[in-house]
Amino acid sequence: MSGQSHTRSVRLALVAVPVLFLAITSLQTRIDAQTRTIAQQKEELLLRSGPLLKKLSLGYDSLLADIYWTRSVQYYGTRIGSPGERFELLWPLLDITTTLDPKLMIAYRFGAIFLSEPAPTGADRPDLAVELVKRGVAAIPDDWRMESDLGFLYYWHLKDYPQASATYLDASKKPDAPLWLKIVAAQVAAKGDSFSTSRAIWTELFDTAQDPSVKKNAFQHLQALQAQQDFLELDKYAGDYRERYGRYPETVKELYESGFLSGIARDPAGIPYIFGPDGKAQLDPNSPVIIEKPLARSPR
Amino acid sequence: MSAIPAVVAINTFREAVRDRVLYNLIFFALMMIGASILVGEISIGISRLVIINLGLSAISIFGLVMAIFIGVGLVSKEIEKRTLYTLLSKPVRRWEFLVGKFGGLLLTLTVNTILMTLGLAAALYYVSRNFLRADASVLVAVYFILLELALVTALALFFSCFSSPMLSTLFTLGVYVSGIFSKDIRDIGMLTRNPVMQAAAQVLYYVLPNFHNFNTITAAAHGESIPVSLIWQNTAYAALYVVLVLVAASAVFSGRDLK
Repeated sequence: MSGQSHTRSVRLALVAVPVLFLAITSLQTRIDAQTRTIAQQKEELLLRSGPLLKKLSLGYDSLLADIYWTRSVQYYGTRIGSPGERFELLWPLLDITTTLDPKLMIAYRFGAIFLSEPAPTGADRPDLAVELVKRGVAAIPDDWRMESDLGFLYYWHLKDYPQASATYLDASKKPDAPLWLKIVAAQVAAKGDSFSTSRAIWTELFDTAQDPSVKKNAFQHLQALQAQQDFLELDKYAGDYRERYGRYPETVKELYESGFLSGIARDPAGIPYIFGPDGKAQLDPNSPVIIEKPLARSPR
Repeated sequence: MSAIPAVVAINTFREAVRDRVLYNLIFFALMMIGASILVGEISIGISRLVIINLGLSAISIFGLVMAIFIGVGLVSKEIEKRTLYTLLSKPVRRWEFLVGKFGGLLLTLTVNTILMTLGLAAALYYVSRNFLRADASVLVAVYFILLELALVTALALFFSCFSSPMLSTLFTLGVYVSGIFSKDIRDIGMLTRNPVMQAAAQVLYYVLPNFHNFNTITAAAHGESIPVSLIWQNTAYAALYVVLVLVAASAVFSGRDLK
């Protein structure tokens, strides 16, 4: 090839390659738009059998488990908060992940959170979360954290306090288990559901969590607990206010101005509480504090 | 001991370097850098695990591809280029040529694996800013991968002694995949309740190279210690199998009509 011809070819390539890439990009965008509806209609997991995938992985099962775990996180992350979302593929994805790598502790611990949290922040399937963590306990029997997570599921989501207490006690017997597990086991056995027990468990979770998202989750639950404890106090003052003025207060400012409170009562996010028509304290609609599972309050 | 295999081995290594075989390292490096940066963004809590799993799997896959595709061409290329005739007209015995070729490719694979391991160590350090004592398992896993590659190289060389590169590739891949499934073959045989099938499955289990022995990637990723006994047992297993295959290859190659 002569030098001139080569130069011509290079010039042509320099122009043609970017132009063709642009054309391909534009075409792909159109194809995506056309197929998006179809993809949304049918969300499929082609292979649901963990053991089969393990065989097909030709020994690279550990890497495949990482890929499936990342897929689970992405699946959960893109759907969290969507009203009506049922996270139907979450369990199969976690099942495959933990079958491919039974020692992938993070998949049991976070997977249990994804499964157990109520909608729309989770699949609202604490039963599956328990099954998942039980598998984790069997696969990693010497780790106290797995059993502690199981105890938490029994306590918080299933309200099975005898089972929760027994599980926390089992966790406390594992190597390197912290002392607080024994205390929590005793508290749960003695009091069942109580603010002090819940607060103690969430505080430990907050203190021991290393992942920012778990820490944030524990922090949000602590905020919710604080708000609910405040509600009980404010409900009481609202009743006293009614006895004096014949009506419930509409704002916490009224309670403060009439001397029931020494200041404006605010939620953990710093926004003043409000009162409903029944005189029950509530969060301001603009408050970022989320109460997923309101605790029982005495009726008016 | 004759020095001829060593000379052939060095030349095979030089040829591989000249053929830019080590260019795969650039791809490996880019992949590790990409994974180190990306994984923290798209997943939760498995950065370190992914780096080890991805690094070891890549070392294994790249090594296997090299062992098979270069291994099957070691003999046929020499015949095609007519260099084998020049070589064999000198006082070089056929088995020496084969052992030299095997050693040369193994040397190439070892250098390649060492460089990739350094890349893996760098990525691991970037992700966690330290090395743990448990990371020693990663080195053991790399050593096992090397043993596996030695076995695959010997098999590729064996098949290339009597068949075309295309068929040799298929045969080597076939034995490799069967070797991974050897335990399942035995288990399926046991399920038949037919004594002949059971015996055949049992024989196959021991005849096929058991590549499952060398897979400790998961254990290494979780920082589990690998027993010393397994290290020497796997070393002995690979050494015996390689010798067996090379002896068989020499026997086949010595009887081959090269005219």
